[in-house]
Amino acid sequence: MKIRQRIAEELSDAFPGLQTETPGEGRLLVLAGKDSVIAVLGYLKRRGYNHLALISCVDWMEEGEFELVYILSAYPRGEGGAAAREELSILVKTRISRKRPDAATAIPVFANAEPLEREIHELFGIVFAGHPRLTPLFLEREYPIPPFRKDFDTRQYVKDFFDKIPEVQQE
Amino acid sequence: MRELELYFGPQHLGMVGNFSITLKVEGDRIREAAANPGYLHRGFEKLMEYRTWIQNFPLVCRINVVEPDHMELVYAMAVEKLTGIEVPERAQYIRSIFLELSRVASHLFGLWAYANMLGFDTVAQWAMYHRDLVLDLFEELTGGRVYHIFIWPGGVRRDFPEGFQERIVNTLHSIGGCVPDYDHTFFNNRLFSKRAKGIGKVTREEAMEMGATGQVLRAAGMKYDIRKVEPYAAYHQVPWEVPTRKAGDAYSRIRVVRDEMIESVHMIFKLLDKMPEGKVYNRAPNPFKWKVPAGEAYVRCESSRGELGLYLVSDSGDKPYRAHFRTPSYPHGLVLLEKILRGASLADVGNIMISLYVTPPEIDR
Amino acid sequence: MGHKYSLHAVYFCTGCGIIEIPPALTARWDAERFGIIPAAAPRQANLFLITGYVSLKTLKPIIRTYEQMGEPKFTVAFGSCPINGGMYWDSYNTVKHLDRYLPIDGWIAGCMPRPEAIFTAITHLWGMIDRGEADGYRRYRRYYRQYRANQERVLGRLDWPPLRGED
Repeated sequence: MKIRQRIAEELSDAFPGLQTETPGEGRLLVLAGKDSVIAVLGYLKRRGYNHLALISCVDWMEEGEFELVYILSAYPRGEGGAAAREELSILVKTRISRKRPDAATAIPVFANAEPLEREIHELFGIVFAGHPRLTPLFLEREYPIPPFRKDFDTRQYVKDFFDKIPEVQQE
Repeated sequence: MRELELYFGPQHLGMVGNFSITLKVEGDRIREAAANPGYLHRGFEKLMEYRTWIQNFPLVCRINVVEPDHMELVYAMAVEKLTGIEVPERAQYIRSIFLELSRVASHLFGLWAYANMLGFDTVAQWAMYHRDLVLDLFEELTGGRVYHIFIWPGGVRRDFPEGFQERIVNTLHSIGGCVPDYDHTFFNNRLFSKRAKGIGKVTREEAMEMGATGQVLRAAGMKYDIRKVEPYAAYHQVPWEVPTRKAGDAYSRIRVVRDEMIESVHMIFKLLDKMPEGKVYNRAPNPFKWKVPAGEAYVRCESSRGELGLYLVSDSGDKPYRAHFRTPSYPHGLVLLEKILRGASLADVGNIMISLYVTPPEIDR
Repeated sequence: MGHKYSLHAVYFCTGCGIIEIPPALTARWDAERFGIIPAAAPRQANLFLITGYVSLKTLKPIIRTYEQMGEPKFTVAFGSCPINGGMYWDSYNTVKHLDRYLPIDGWIAGCMPRPEAIFTAITHLWGMIDRGEADGYRRYRRYYRQYRANQERVLGRLDWPPLRGED
């Protein structure tokens, strides 16, 4: 409880106007603006939260926005051992517009953001400025819209594309 | 010397799973490596958005085929966190025993893969045989050898059948009795240490920089295990230790795997002794009308490869709005592999890849 | 007929189903009683076990591996996914009916099929070989234009030349 409050206060001091919430035990939610999210990640990494577990993206189609979620936790110092300190996972969220989905890359802060951002670019269509390698990671074909967006209906796509492939006719 | 581009491709005897690495090789040394995933991509998370909460259970375990139970666990834990369903005490113990048996089976599979790749066929056959004995236990408990669909929100699906505890103990004793043979033939073998010592070295700082978890960290000297850091199920009820090593190379990683298997077996015996009586599940709501309240949850557990997490978002509908799995093989196979293959010998690619415990279906989902 | 008792399976882990192949090949279930051993390269194999679902990216290496195998060669589709899509019937990245792209001699249903199901399938395959019904490789040559057209519909232009004319 105490560490969570302390970090929330430090963040509000360092980044005025930043909102924080405490949704449940061991979790801290930080809502950052599009331009300050990389700076917030750098601040938290220097503060000791140096493990980027996940970068996720949620498509809020009705609101016209993508929400990028960065999930951080802390590696133990030194050799680890008994958890004497409070365990906390921090979720840093930011929203970007669906019509012009650009964001800044987090690679300068966390080296393992590289494939995560590449995957989000491929599946959602978000362009990360400064990323060295935004080439396809998983997909083989081009799809009419990036497949994880909410307006891509995968069942309709299967009906239109795969089911129309003809069977091999044997005389 | 000229540079060649080679594909350590999907059809290869040193590859477990469907994964490809594009190598730029000069003579025998690798200059550059680029991982090429995507051969197993099914769009899992998109498929989950089209199925109701209960229909997702058979789907979720198929993400990692070697060890499907931890996927069920994180999904059940995330749904319990969103809905507030409690899990009875006996179900927590049964979950822990089940997950530790799954860990033993998964490590035996990993031992088969590693020994097979090195050419130690004898130990590979033994490991696969012992894994089959554990799968017999699963088949008796859940009906399926590979995909169990046993853990769901509110507990587990059914209680242990009559005499099951003795059968677990007997099976584990018969596997444990062969550990001196394994040690004598494989783990203490001079050929294995010549082949694996100093290969694929990852220091603690490099591992932290690349986001690695699991054996990669523990073999580099850091005691980091989610079962100790953020305990779930019944892991905090029995005393147990996290095995670590110092050197960070392939040899240390495989030794950590061996120590973890033995620790899991001891943990199962302690949990069986301490397990209370009681019911094994709290009723979930009517699956046809089940709507989970809006919110989001991030839960994590320690699978046999590292930290497995799930970020689940619900908008109070009857299907998940977004589910995103954080799988442990993702940083190992895509970030760490490219870095430590640089400068390695061509003969060691399979060695490094399997000692990092990369499982391709987890990367692609 | 002699080759039915030494079917060498090419070692290619294509999908989920790879989890039940090592138990079938090792000491407990012992496929070597049936003459099945794994082969390292497709040039040395005559049985192709397509284990589990086939994503679009995997279809390319599967076609290349299949075309490299020497004839007579037999394919067995393992699992429910190559039959009609299986668990991932609504996925945008998996192939639903594998026999529109490659000739399949036999299917094993299940998710996962047990090792005993593999052996039952192999004994069925022996019967088919004896009766001359396991002619997937001949069908591939005879109807190659249709197979290739289907392959190019999903994969785009293929960068290897088409096979020579029919047998």
